[in-house]
Amino acid sequence: MSTGFSSLNTALNGLSAAQRALDTTSQNIVNANTPGYSRQRVLLESVGNTPEASFHTGSAAVVGGVRVTDVSRIRDAFLEGTRAAAGAKQASIGSQLDILNGAQQLLAEPGDTGMQATVDSFYASWHDLANNPTDTAAGSVVIQRGIAVADQLHYVVDGIAAQWTTAHDNLVDVVAQTNQAAADLAKLNESIQEGTSAGQPVNELMDTRDTLVRKLATLVGGSSSMDQQGRVSGGVNGINLVSGNIHQTMVLTGGNDVSTVSADPPGLRIGAFAVPVDSGQAAGMLAAMRTDLPALTDKVNTVAASVIGIVNGVYSTGYAQDGSTGNAFFGGTDAHSIAVVPTQGAQLSIAAAAGTVDGSIAAHLGDLADDATSATALGRPGPSAQWRQMTGTLGVQAQSLTTGKSVQDAVVSAAEDAVQSNAGVNLDEEMTNMMLFQRAYQASARVITTIDETMDTLINRTGKVGL
Amino acid sequence: MSRITQRTISDTALRGLQANLSRMQTLQNQLSSGKQISQPSDDPSATVSAMTLRSRRTSDEQYLRNIDTASGRLTVTDNALVQLSDRLRAVRDLVIQSRNGGLGTESQAALSANVKAIKDEVVDLYNTTYLDRPIFGGTIGGVTTIDASGTYLGNDQPVNARISSDAVLRIDVSGTAAGANTVPGMIDQVAANIASPTGATDADLSNIDGAVSQVLQSLGDVGARSARISTTRDMVDSHRLDLTSRISINEDVDMPQAMMNLSAQQVGYQAALQSAAKIQQVSLVDFLK
Repeated sequence: MSTGFSSLNTALNGLSAAQRALDTTSQNIVNANTPGYSRQRVLLESVGNTPEASFHTGSAAVVGGVRVTDVSRIRDAFLEGTRAAAGAKQASIGSQLDILNGAQQLLAEPGDTGMQATVDSFYASWHDLANNPTDTAAGSVVIQRGIAVADQLHYVVDGIAAQWTTAHDNLVDVVAQTNQAAADLAKLNESIQEGTSAGQPVNELMDTRDTLVRKLATLVGGSSSMDQQGRVSGGVNGINLVSGNIHQTMVLTGGNDVSTVSADPPGLRIGAFAVPVDSGQAAGMLAAMRTDLPALTDKVNTVAASVIGIVNGVYSTGYAQDGSTGNAFFGGTDAHSIAVVPTQGAQLSIAAAAGTVDGSIAAHLGDLADDATSATALGRPGPSAQWRQMTGTLGVQAQSLTTGKSVQDAVVSAAEDAVQSNAGVNLDEEMTNMMLFQRAYQASARVITTIDETMDTLINRTGKVGL
Repeated sequence: MSRITQRTISDTALRGLQANLSRMQTLQNQLSSGKQISQPSDDPSATVSAMTLRSRRTSDEQYLRNIDTASGRLTVTDNALVQLSDRLRAVRDLVIQSRNGGLGTESQAALSANVKAIKDEVVDLYNTTYLDRPIFGGTIGGVTTIDASGTYLGNDQPVNARISSDAVLRIDVSGTAAGANTVPGMIDQVAANIASPTGATDADLSNIDGAVSQVLQSLGDVGARSARISTTRDMVDSHRLDLTSRISINEDVDMPQAMMNLSAQQVGYQAALQSAAKIQQVSLVDFLK
């Protein structure tokens, strides 16, 4: 049978439930702008009577009040996963684009300081020398412009190598961050499991864990799954990095110089397995390091070899003032080793025959500025045409990555909005909830007062008639 | 979107502001550099054409320099040939004068000396140089076409210059064609004949006439080439100007349009700022007491 005291208890339940709900609301409000925070909701359950008890004791139904069953985290794993995957792809494109943009800066095209302009003025200086073959100053200009061509090739090829090294350093850092995140994730799995079994609130830890999972996706394109014990496993393309409270170590393999790429390409490895990375920062860096920068280096070397070949091919047919012939203007074989051989403007082999003063070979060298002439001399497109093609190809590649990145930015924004829409804190909503629970608290308090007054009547006034 | 939070509103506002700012920066870059293309990825095909056009313009500028050298050399050659023909006519006059009857041996010796003096002038003219190169000597190592003993040293090798992408022009005159190998000796012979008792002969006159016509022929040749140079110069120059304007069209920013875009962008940016400020000011908190 019901006693007045059970109502007091019911009201007390109401007070503590409202209190708990207000706690949760304030936690939501203060964390409205905390990165990675998911809003929380108090799940309430009315406590009903116990039919079995009444069956045995014959007592009337007992109204039990309200109970907080859980403070749950509002979160959609699918939306989170979409956001992580979109972020990973964005990071991949972004890191590759950064490297290619750096390479574009190196080329300094189109402009007056690019390779095209340098080579053109080199060819032009040969014509000036042809116009005035005995002018040693014109000869010195030719040598200086030749040195400028060699220097520019050195600058570009060294710049590409430096970019490769920077990318390698960054990748080392990415791998270190990945391992740190994996270790943290394993530790959090353990803490969360312990907390859950001890009935401790673990929502904030789970938010931190989700942030780590997202970080893994951004770094190396990691994906995650949850096991039955509520532990998150993280891996890259099916190779486990974290499972439960155990984490593996990712290592960066391969050479640490652009010249060793073909023999020993850089790659990632977890334990015995090579990791195929296709998104995340690491993927963009690896793509640039394995393919883009080595290809660019090869092309610059080909241009250098073509310049050396085409200029020496004509130059070697000329005779110097001392009667020597078969000389080389450029030494070396590629963009690293190219160098100008003659040191004196008067030593140049520009005459068509021994013992004559003649600039016809210099004029032929100047004619190489013409694409058709140099293509005929080389048997394939000349160095300028190769350089332009290389610049155009790099431009197209960077352009398509730029477009891809802006598309991916939009995708990430949409995914971010979707996650926020689900898990974000809406202050208006929290204010409304606050009022709701405040009122509930007030009402429960009112119930206690009412019961108290009732009891007062019963206990203190009973039997006191007419007083 | 089903559920909007303060955070989504501020994120959206921030993204809008970022996008606006980034477009403003692009426009600002274009306006301050005056270029549409700052790196190849801005427009790969325009980059490649920019490089090609600039390369051709450099070539054209070089052709114009070559043309200047060529025309300078041809002008000097032209002057030398004109003077040569004058000298040869003077010799002819002296020969005719010497064949007037009644001249004494002394007068004839004087005429002969006169002819010899002219021969020295002729040799000097054949030794004319341009930029330290003998203009009638071909590609010989030295700078003297006819040495002190009167021997012709020239090798008649052509000196050429590229005056346009598809034209190479010979810019000297073969010493043999201009008579550098025969004329000084012929004049010596004439001088000797004048001084001799027999006097100058008809053969001398016809030799001189032959030399004059040889020189005039070279002169005509030089004139024709000068004419060709001046038409080529006009052609190359107009081609260069054409390239310059195409480079400008290809690379340069259309300033009025860029300014208009910038103002439009600024209006957009201000609108975004204002709306963001207004929306984020209010929430239910403001209305609760």
